[in-house]
Amino acid sequence: MIPTKAVITAASPTDHHLPLQTLVDSEGVPKTALAIILDDLFASGIGSAAVIIHPGTREAYLQAAGEHADRLTLIEQSDPRGYGHAVWSAHKFTGDDSFVLLLGDHLYLSSGESSCVRQMLEVTATHDGCISAVNPTHESELRYYGTVAATRVPASPSLFVVHDVVEKPTPTQAEQELIVPGLRAGNYLCFFGMHSLTAGVMERLEEEVSLLGRGEKLGLTPTLAFMARSEKYLAAELAGERFNVGERYGLLRAQLSLALAGPHRDEVLTDIIEITAHSRPGCQSS
Amino acid sequence: MPKLLNIITSEDPSVRDTALGEACAELSLAELLEECIELDLFRREAGNLYERVRALFFLSAIHRVHLPPRLPPRRMGYIPFGGQEHLLRRRFAEAIDVFHLAVAEQGANDALSSALAEGYYELAFQTLAAQVRRSVRTVRGHQWMFRMGHPADHPLSIRDELLGPLPDGSRRILRERTPVRMDLSHAGWSDIFFLGMDYPEGARVLNVSIDLGVHGRDPEPRPPIEAHVRVIDEPVIVLTSVDLKATARIGTLGEIFDFAKDDLGLLKAAVIASGVVPPGIEGSGQGLGNLLERMVGPGRGLEVVSWVNGIPKGSRLAVSTNLLAALIGALMRATGQTGSLTGPLRENERRLVLARAILGEWLGGSGGGWQDCGGVWPGIKLITGVPAEEGDPEFNVSRGCLLPAHHVFGEDEIPESSRQALENSLVLVHGGMAQDVGPILEMVTEKYLLRSPVAWAARQEALALLEELVNSLQKGDIEALGRAATRNFRGPIQSIIPWATNLFTETLIARAEQEFGEDFWGFWMLGGMSGGGMGFIFAPERKTEAQEAMARIMEETKDQLQAALPFGMNPVVYEFSINHTGTCADLLEGGMQLPESYHRLQEPASEGGQGADRGEAESGALRRLMEESGFDHNVHEGIRASVRAGRIGMLSNRLPPTTRIEDVGADDVVDCSVVAQGGEEARRRGAEALAGGEVAVVTLAAGAGSRWTGGAGTCKALNPFAPLGGSYRTFLEVHLAKSRKTAREHGVPLPHIFTTSYLTHDPTSRFLESASNYHYDGPLFLSPGRTVGLRMVPTERDLRFAWEETPQQQLDAQQQKIRDSARAALIDWARNCGEASDYTGNLPEQCLHPMGHFYEIPNLVLNGTLRLLLEERPQLKTLLLHNVDTLGASVDPVILGRHLERGHGLTFEVITRRLADRGGGLARVDGTPRLVEGLAMPDAESEFGLSYYNSMTTWIDLDQYLALLGLTREEVLASDQDRLARAVRDLAECVPTYLTIKEVKKRWGHGQEAVYPVAQVENLWGDLTILPEANCGFFLVERQRGQQLKDPAQLDEWFAESSQYVQSLCEWE
Repeated sequence: MIPTKAVITAASPTDHHLPLQTLVDSEGVPKTALAIILDDLFASGIGSAAVIIHPGTREAYLQAAGEHADRLTLIEQSDPRGYGHAVWSAHKFTGDDSFVLLLGDHLYLSSGESSCVRQMLEVTATHDGCISAVNPTHESELRYYGTVAATRVPASPSLFVVHDVVEKPTPTQAEQELIVPGLRAGNYLCFFGMHSLTAGVMERLEEEVSLLGRGEKLGLTPTLAFMARSEKYLAAELAGERFNVGERYGLLRAQLSLALAGPHRDEVLTDIIEITAHSRPGCQSS
Repeated sequence: MPKLLNIITSEDPSVRDTALGEACAELSLAELLEECIELDLFRREAGNLYERVRALFFLSAIHRVHLPPRLPPRRMGYIPFGGQEHLLRRRFAEAIDVFHLAVAEQGANDALSSALAEGYYELAFQTLAAQVRRSVRTVRGHQWMFRMGHPADHPLSIRDELLGPLPDGSRRILRERTPVRMDLSHAGWSDIFFLGMDYPEGARVLNVSIDLGVHGRDPEPRPPIEAHVRVIDEPVIVLTSVDLKATARIGTLGEIFDFAKDDLGLLKAAVIASGVVPPGIEGSGQGLGNLLERMVGPGRGLEVVSWVNGIPKGSRLAVSTNLLAALIGALMRATGQTGSLTGPLRENERRLVLARAILGEWLGGSGGGWQDCGGVWPGIKLITGVPAEEGDPEFNVSRGCLLPAHHVFGEDEIPESSRQALENSLVLVHGGMAQDVGPILEMVTEKYLLRSPVAWAARQEALALLEELVNSLQKGDIEALGRAATRNFRGPIQSIIPWATNLFTETLIARAEQEFGEDFWGFWMLGGMSGGGMGFIFAPERKTEAQEAMARIMEETKDQLQAALPFGMNPVVYEFSINHTGTCADLLEGGMQLPESYHRLQEPASEGGQGADRGEAESGALRRLMEESGFDHNVHEGIRASVRAGRIGMLSNRLPPTTRIEDVGADDVVDCSVVAQGGEEARRRGAEALAGGEVAVVTLAAGAGSRWTGGAGTCKALNPFAPLGGSYRTFLEVHLAKSRKTAREHGVPLPHIFTTSYLTHDPTSRFLESASNYHYDGPLFLSPGRTVGLRMVPTERDLRFAWEETPQQQLDAQQQKIRDSARAALIDWARNCGEASDYTGNLPEQCLHPMGHFYEIPNLVLNGTLRLLLEERPQLKTLLLHNVDTLGASVDPVILGRHLERGHGLTFEVITRRLADRGGGLARVDGTPRLVEGLAMPDAESEFGLSYYNSMTTWIDLDQYLALLGLTREEVLASDQDRLARAVRDLAECVPTYLTIKEVKKRWGHGQEAVYPVAQVENLWGDLTILPEANCGFFLVERQRGQQLKDPAQLDEWFAESSQYVQSLCEWE
């Protein structure tokens, strides 16, 4: 079943400002990162979205959402108890429905005709169960991502059956447990930051939240690993790239990719070349 | 199918386990050669690695043992130099092809068979080693480390717990504490990788993790190994070994991979094998700082400290492998490669640490067995080989997997009471002997692959005994365990390798039996051989008493044997307890600090262990010894000047390149290898001379036998090297037993003289006195050396010549890298010490050297021994001179008769050359027959055109020799020292002076040792053949008579080939 709801997590106590940063979208219009994500979601067929936010940021988020503010549900995560807990915070919003889960500090840029969200929804149209977007990632980046052990679905080159999920594995563990046939040596299937999850995930999170001790945090990975063991769980390699605007130069890379994907590509390229030509190592800003 | 091939490929174990010896027994020469062709074809094409290796071992053994006795007698052979060059460069397959071509030209012969045997043997081990290396690299979880070639790709980062500074500004230290392991049984060395991977069913080890302390020093046992890791605010890696008193600040990637530059090779191997500096980045040209920045953060680095609480080297408790594992474990924890930062490891993590430790051993050029990381696991465990199955990287390559399985016995299997009982009865010791177990492991591997019947049956028995040991433990019956351990040592272990025991061990066991009677329950050998770590089991009520007794017995026995056997340290009794956690980590902070000795090491005044200078007392001892030994300062300074100027040096040892070196002709050599026509007459004449008291024997026993103990400086003559006639016999005893038999057969006492030196005289004298001269009937003399030199630090020129210009056996790639690095460090050492400066940084005995065997007979003249002999028997006419390791040399009446018939002044015995007979030989030099030392050969190839090798055994016509010195019997009897000394000096000036590079061991700390190259000058006996007036002749004798036993690695082969022959010459007291 194709999800019509989306959940965006943006409740990190330290990084909750990231979705509020302003970029220029591929059409040349200044927008917040949040607005760009929402544009993409609603254009792809999602009907409503919830954002999990840090307490005290409601106004800023409503403002950042721009024209989409009225289709948005803002849910405060009062206590920062982990990513899994943040997702669970949207359980009333999702109800018994499946939903698309995205990261508020990531931008997704498609390299094909369809946006990344639309590609994801296309997969859900033909496959039930949880689906996580993945892309091959070099082992030197494993420390940042959840990684799946998977095998290819016959006759579907970009689909994989997930057998296990490991959060930020070491290359040693990856080599022992997470090798996916067909990928280049030293590359593994890491999460793209976008999932289509069933109501079963919320049920499992509910159970785990109820067992959560004082001060403990709940990740999403154990729940996804559980789903991989207990029901059909697919991974889909999407034609696109993800940009973490929180990492060093992440915002710059996201901005460049957006700019180069639109009508102002030549202008931006010219600027890059000029900047490159005039730059010298060690130049100080005035 | 050819018979031998069938043994290799058969699925039927009863055929597959047929002994090669049995299969060859009934084959003729032609059939055996035909089998060799088939085996050679098979080994070239076989896909299965172990079948290929077995075929190679078959071929090696056939050429070494089974073919030579069938070959036509006296067929001469030449080993092509091209083949030898291939061997030296480790191109074994090419070498074999060259030797086969030579066989096609010359026909099968003894010389070529020796070359083929060597080629096949080395190729077999090379193939096996390559497979183990491949397996190590392809272990899942290792491959990424070989891919990573740039710091930007480094996938690891230090855990936050170690990064964050504490309120006082310091950082937490991660400490890994690891027990060592003792093996109750290794079922016949079944933990050798090759065995485990070919015969996983038979690879079984009973292994116990223990905490350790030194009895009388430490209050209680503790995990003896500690590895510490912490983050520092400098972009370097600081490595410190507290025990070796060595520390290094490493700022470049190249230094990390330079294993032998200092004493920190093991720590460097751990840094690499743990993935902190992955092996793939070697030679990338990248900076260590960049790598550390990515992993630890900008401006930060790591400090790694190791400490083994003073546990001595060679303990047979796998201290170094477990230390490697501890370091790797700590570094893997620190970089998040294990789930747990502290506490014990999980099973899969232990296996990973084991795999990395194996990788580290390979990188560091060492190679422990797969049970050696036992300390990573807790308690008592059975470690077993694992058959390779589909999906394993080893599947279809070898029968077993690289990594074994560990079954840790639970309380329900071995109750706590049994463990306690073991602790209450076992006295664990280190006997103090330092020995290289490597040759033993090679012998075991070869015997296994050849299925030597005795060794194979012993292996099966060892497996059964292991089960018995487990049963005894389960029942808590330690007395039965002790008896079974003793049977294991007496039975299977010594059936496979008789050299696993020695006189020291046997004496300890005998004395324990004598003092404790029925309360001494048993002995067990730890690790690969006895003499170092050992276990003695006693009735529990007498354990405390036994600990004191064993300390005393070991001390006394060591005192008695220390000149004869290589001891590295004083014996130690341990306290131990079974460790229940395996390797375990904790975080230190606040007041908990690194070991105290670490801080002492950081003080600026501290000096490195082995680099520390000798005390004043030792310098004084050296001076005294030099004075006592007749050291001549003027001569020494003259030599030093010549060495510095290059007049004496490795290059000037050589004859000019224009020298014509040719093989001798048939007329130059008298064949005494078979009793031919006229033999009876020669025998009569020899017997007559013997009966008339005209003969004496001189055994050269002044040297330390550097190859025998790797430069340990013990007396080779006193080494109880093998059990012959039911007891361990020293070289000295064997020579006396031969003289005894000769004397009795001819009804006359035979004088026997052992030449000695400052190094061997006192120990030999004491030893003979304690052994009552082995009750030798005839006159027995020791002839002390009268010429001594002081060793020098070599010049860079001579070291480079020795290591770069002289053909050398290249090593396996990783080991070669380590050797190159060590040699570069030693060249630096020589430069820093001062080229041709006096070598004084060692024990006095190790700083001096006898000046070559040229002086041994002159010493008889100078020290009055010859005068005594002549006074005792004026009719003395002939001396038989031979090396201490030429065990087959004897006063054979036929050869003596021939010598007398020919009237030579000096008759040298030569043997036909085999590949191992290196170091010169008999040649026509510019048309004149003479002996040429290997050092003097104008080039490496010349030697390979020679048929005969010099055995050093020489018949000396006393009067002609004295004439050579310009002396008469009367002058010898008159004993005018100046006259005699001048005569010797004059003769010495007629022969060349050589510079040689020797290796000496320097020991320090707890059994630590290092080997240094030193230069010494020598004059050599064989060069008398240069002098026409010496009237030299050359006799060809059979190999068993001329064979020298120079290296313990030759023992097995010598025992099989020559021990019967030698025993037939002996009459034991």
